Formats: sequence, structure tokens, C-alpha cells
Amino acid sequence: MIETPCRDVPLQEWAAALAAARSEGFDFFDWLTAVDAMDAEESPGFDLVCHLMNSSTGQLRTGGLDRVLIRTRVPLGESAASATGLWPGAAWHERETNEMFGVDFDGFDDGTGQGLRPLLLPNGFDGTPLRKSFVLAARASKAWPGAKEPGEGAPSHAGAPADKPEKPGRRKITAPGVPDITWGPR
Amino acid sequence: MPSIGVLNDNAPKPIKVVLNWGRRYSLWVFNFGLACCAIEFIAASMARHDFIRLGVIPFAPGPRQADLMVVSGTVSDKMAAAIRRLYDQMPEPKYVISFGSCANSGGPYWDSYCVTKGVDTLIPVDVYVPGCPPRPEALLQGIIRLQEKIASETLSTKAMQAKYAGSRSAAAGEVTRPLLAKPASAGSQMTVSQTGGEQL
Repeated sequence: MIETPCRDVPLQEWAAALAAARSEGFDFFDWLTAVDAMDAEESPGFDLVCHLMNSSTGQLRTGGLDRVLIRTRVPLGESAASATGLWPGAAWHERETNEMFGVDFDGFDDGTGQGLRPLLLPNGFDGTPLRKSFVLAARASKAWPGAKEPGEGAPSHAGAPADKPEKPGRRKITAPGVPDITWGPR
Repeated sequence: MPSIGVLNDNAPKPIKVVLNWGRRYSLWVFNFGLACCAIEFIAASMARHDFIRLGVIPFAPGPRQADLMVVSGTVSDKMAAAIRRLYDQMPEPKYVISFGSCANSGGPYWDSYCVTKGVDTLIPVDVYVPGCPPRPEALLQGIIRLQEKIASETLSTKAMQAKYAGSRSAAAGEVTRPLLAKPASAGSQMTVSQTGGEQL
């Protein structure tokens, strides 16, 4: 298993990096998505990742196509340049990234003139469900039904309130989507 | 509005028993297959388990020709409107089997943002078949339970209209919820409804 090379680029050079990779021969657009890095120590935001393949080198039969990942960090509230000008097929990926993470794309054009709009979520869906800050309604009204800690009996929440810190000990399991104790009991 | 007709409504009891007998052994089934449970449904329709011997006919051309809908698989909020629409197109009397944990209650996706927590938030369900996925034998058992239910029911236009509540339609917005916000006062009781579909 060979690790795919990854190029980290600043947000302003996102479109230029994609165009450069394309002119290098990485002309097959595989996928584009985001990773929530809002809890990063420095420059929190969303990692926009694009996977490209070179369809002219390597052997298709052995799956040995050259691949590259291009990655940039999009801070909250800022938008990235759209890749739909280079690969029209990026439109679905950008719509999905937009609805799931709330990342906007400048210059998005899928030929319909309707702009960025939800692709998979039902009509009227409120929120960006793949962000770590998105709280699941079921988790807010019901605790996890099974035991998740050795010697359970601990509160069914992640963390402790600021005014009553827990005794130092084993770190409690926390999961995105599970509301913390400040939301009240469940 | 659904009606079973004057003759049917006023038939003497022995005739109603015969009509129920006919109804329970000619269930044209409409498979709403949404996930892996649909594979088990298909297995139940094939030679080894063969639910045609119970009078369940798996080749309804569409919902308008079907008596029974088997919802097998994960119901998502996006698909909810389509399920409601196709159910509304089925002629009365109509029956629903909820097949598998996902269709029963959301199953392993109980806390998902996009999975409907049970198809019974959308349509009335007659028989629930538990399992993840249930074996084909479990579906056969569910069909037999449904047939027992059909045999013991007394159809009347009035009861049928009460059950199906005339013509209802559900939009996707009725099973989605607004963005959940942190409650104003810490420690207050949560008053979040899990799905808006409960209001149906």
C-alpha cells in the first residue's frame, strides 16, 4: 500500500493548484470532500481535499495509476474557488460538501444556473450535519443505551461543567454529535 | 374516500368470513426494498422459502395493484415522502409489514440525522418483523400473523375511513426537524420531538 502524495496549498492558490495538477497530467477527477478541523490548535477550519488521478501513466489493469491529494484549509465563513470550471463532474461533490459542511464555492457553475443547492439532504433540512458541532436530536433526548466505560455509572454525557470539574482520571469518551452536559440531563 | 361498497358493508357474517378468507390468501405484495433487508425479502420469495404458497404474490405491477406493502430497509427522510405517496396510491384495504430493525425504529441508525425513526411515523403498520436483517422465516411468520389479523377483522367503510383518515399526504418537511439549539437554561427538561412525523 503506497501512501498517496498530498500537496498542502494556501486557500488563495486552491484553483491554481488544481489547474497545475491537471496540466501535469492528473486529469481524472476522483472525488472532493471536506474534513472538519475546527478543533485544530492553529488556524481552525475545514480541510478541503481533492483526489486526482493521472489517466495516461501507469497501468489501468494493475490499478497502478498515479494519484495525488490536494488539500487546503478553509476558515469558517470563507469560501474556496470552485473546480467546476476544470472538471464539470466536481459539481455534485461541491454541492455535497456545501450541504454537509457549509463550505461555499465561488464561481460554482453546473450548467443549470441554479447555483449551490442541496444534493442529498431532504428539502427544508436545517443545518450542516457532518460538522462536529452539529448535535444529533436523538442524542440530545436519549442517552446511549449501552455501557461505554469500564465501571459505568458515570454521567451519560461528555465532559463536566466548568464550575464543577471532574476528578482527574480516565478520559471520558467524547463523540461528535453528542451534546455536552451544559445541554441538561437526558 | 375509501369505501367497501353497500353489498360488502351489509353482507351477513358467513359471507364476510368468506371474503376475509379470500383477502388473506391473495395478498399482492409491493416490496419497498430500501436496503439489505430487501435481499432477505427476495430470498423469502424464491424457491426455498417460497411465500407464494401462503398466497403472497410478489409481482404487483405497481402500488395501485397491491394489497400489502413490505417496507424492508432503512427509511431515510428523503425517501419518506415517496413511501407516503406510494402508500396513498394503494387501494384499500391495504396492509403494511415493517421488515427489519431500520424500518421498525431506525435500528442501528437511531441517532442519525437523516434516517426516519421508524416507518410507523409515516404510515400505519400492521406487523413488525424484528431482526437485523430478519431471516426469511421471520417474514413468513410475519405474513402468517398478518393473515390471522385479516381473518379476524370486520371490514366496514366507517372503520376503514377512520383507519386511513381519508387521503393524507406527507411532505419531506414533516419528518425533518429544525436545527437543534442548546436549551436556554441549563438543566431544564428537554422538549425536543424526535421527528415531526409523529404529528401525522
